[in-house]
Amino acid sequence: MSPAARGWKERSEVRSLYLLAAFLVAAYALPFVVGIQAGTVRFDERWLANLVSVVLGGFMQGGVYAMFAVGLTMIFGVMRIINAAHGEMVMMGAYLTWVAFFFLGVDPLLSLALTLPVAFLFGVAVQRLLLDSVVGQPELTALLITFGLGLVMIYTAELLFTTDFRTIPYAPGTVQLTSTIAVGQNRVISFVMAVAITAAVYLFLKLHRLGKAVRATALNAEVAMVCGINVRRIYLITTGIAVALAVAGGALVSIQFGFNPETGVVYTLQAFAIIILGGRGHYMGALVGAVMLAVLESLVSLMIPNGTAMVELAAYGLMIFVLLIRPGGLMGVKEA
Amino acid sequence: MARREHLRNLLLLAALLGLLLALPGFLSLYLRSFVLFTMMYVVLALSWNIISGFTGYTSFGHVAFYGIGAYATAILVADYRWHWLPTLAAAAVVGALVAVAIGYPVLRLKGPYFAIAMLGAAEGTRVVATVWDGLTHGGLGISLPSAETSWATYYAMLALMGVTIAAAYAVGHSRIGVRLNAIREDEVAAEALGINATAYKLGAFTLSAIFPAVAGGIQAYKVLYIDPPSVFFVQITIAMALMSMLGGKGTVIGPIVGAIVLYTVQELTWVNFPTAHLIAYGLFIVVVARFMPRGLMGFAIDRGWARKGMVH
Repeated sequence: MSPAARGWKERSEVRSLYLLAAFLVAAYALPFVVGIQAGTVRFDERWLANLVSVVLGGFMQGGVYAMFAVGLTMIFGVMRIINAAHGEMVMMGAYLTWVAFFFLGVDPLLSLALTLPVAFLFGVAVQRLLLDSVVGQPELTALLITFGLGLVMIYTAELLFTTDFRTIPYAPGTVQLTSTIAVGQNRVISFVMAVAITAAVYLFLKLHRLGKAVRATALNAEVAMVCGINVRRIYLITTGIAVALAVAGGALVSIQFGFNPETGVVYTLQAFAIIILGGRGHYMGALVGAVMLAVLESLVSLMIPNGTAMVELAAYGLMIFVLLIRPGGLMGVKEA
Repeated sequence: MARREHLRNLLLLAALLGLLLALPGFLSLYLRSFVLFTMMYVVLALSWNIISGFTGYTSFGHVAFYGIGAYATAILVADYRWHWLPTLAAAAVVGALVAVAIGYPVLRLKGPYFAIAMLGAAEGTRVVATVWDGLTHGGLGISLPSAETSWATYYAMLALMGVTIAAAYAVGHSRIGVRLNAIREDEVAAEALGINATAYKLGAFTLSAIFPAVAGGIQAYKVLYIDPPSVFFVQITIAMALMSMLGGKGTVIGPIVGAIVLYTVQELTWVNFPTAHLIAYGLFIVVVARFMPRGLMGFAIDRGWARKGMVH
């Protein structure tokens, strides 16, 4: 590439980053604008305290989103596969926790010790039976296969648990930070757990020999293979961990919100929105994207009338606009 | 293709339409509505195939247009007291406008990103239909005043299917179809040859949205009650994709065969296994994507059961 062309390329990179920043500012401003119009925004002390509580809660929710989005981004980074069943795996985690809680009487947090190994094995099986043969093929094939898998999971869950909404009553109190600022206890617990699990995976990838092999495979599978890394085994481990992260996400979601078999698609799209915003395959990008989405959602639910239904639109809008403005996301993936 | 083959295909099509034209008199009410819905799925699968089969832009959100068409008809009939036939034209227009609005930005994306963006667009449309209750009555749905019998909707769907097949055939056998295929195979190369890819993609996308919109309108008038979850049901998109893939996407006959086979199977199984048939749907997608990338018709050609000319 000639120097002039490279200069143009870099300028357009920078420009798209500015555009993205401007879009994000507009996205965050929008709930305030709508809220002022609709009269749900009052700049008195109580409302501001409420705003701080909600944004703080959103930030903590972002920790949980980050955890399952990291799973999605890992599969993409290592195998270039988009797991369209990721939200269904979150949903599976919620049901596993629910079953453990109501039938075996296991505490939702303790049950992670039970569900995560199961999830890991499920991921290994999915990789072995379905995905191994399509790594390296056009992305669409794997997308269709995981999409089909997601359907099987949704309707199997419907067969087993019906479409009724389930909830797990757990830590219903609030954590009072000041006299007026408070966050739900279950949300704080979820946040702490999510941070711990995400950090554990991060350290595994950063420090452990296998984790390093996973990162090497993500960088270049062929070179990794030449260096003596058993790439197929790395694929198994990657999908196993990714599914475990999704299932852990499901457990932490299940103690906060109601769920039914069809809630999975929302989580899939949220996770997509997050990794597209952050930059596909980027670990840090997923963390940043998750917090940004969750905070935006909390603003929407607080200020826009009919907000609970509109919350879903935040993820879809964010995803579509980021894809259009800067498909690489914040971290700027070059291709696509 | 040779002129003789065109003529033969045309005769086959005419025979099929003639048969369906005479059929309803001999059918029970149940069978009539079964045939109607089979025809609807033929329309849906063929339309999906125009953008996703011919042009290679796999859409996971085509149900959006079906739902928008259903809402256009339902709102105009229930709230504005229109006769239902002109509302179908309105459904087509609204469907086309929304398709241009969605397609213009989203068609810049490729492969899986387009597919996911369309999934998001369809879910977003559903949310809008739920939230905008001044227009759509929100989650309550809309009940339509009933007037016509099943005859009228049957013939409307038959006419729509005839038009859709003709349009798909015309597109598939013209230079337009060749250009769409060129975009599918290599968009950059197609543009280098002077094909205005953006215009062709948007045209194909809009065309593929119009027929589902009208089908949605007819369906709304047939079942007389719609609400957001039922007409923006993600499974309808899946059915479109799966029927095309099962029959052989990128051909004209493939989606027709796929729709008839799959809808019949579905009808036979869902009465006895209401949830299991949806599980089977998922399994079907996995198996077809994994083992039969060219669908039933491709499978048949490979084994010499069908000639290539019959398929296109």
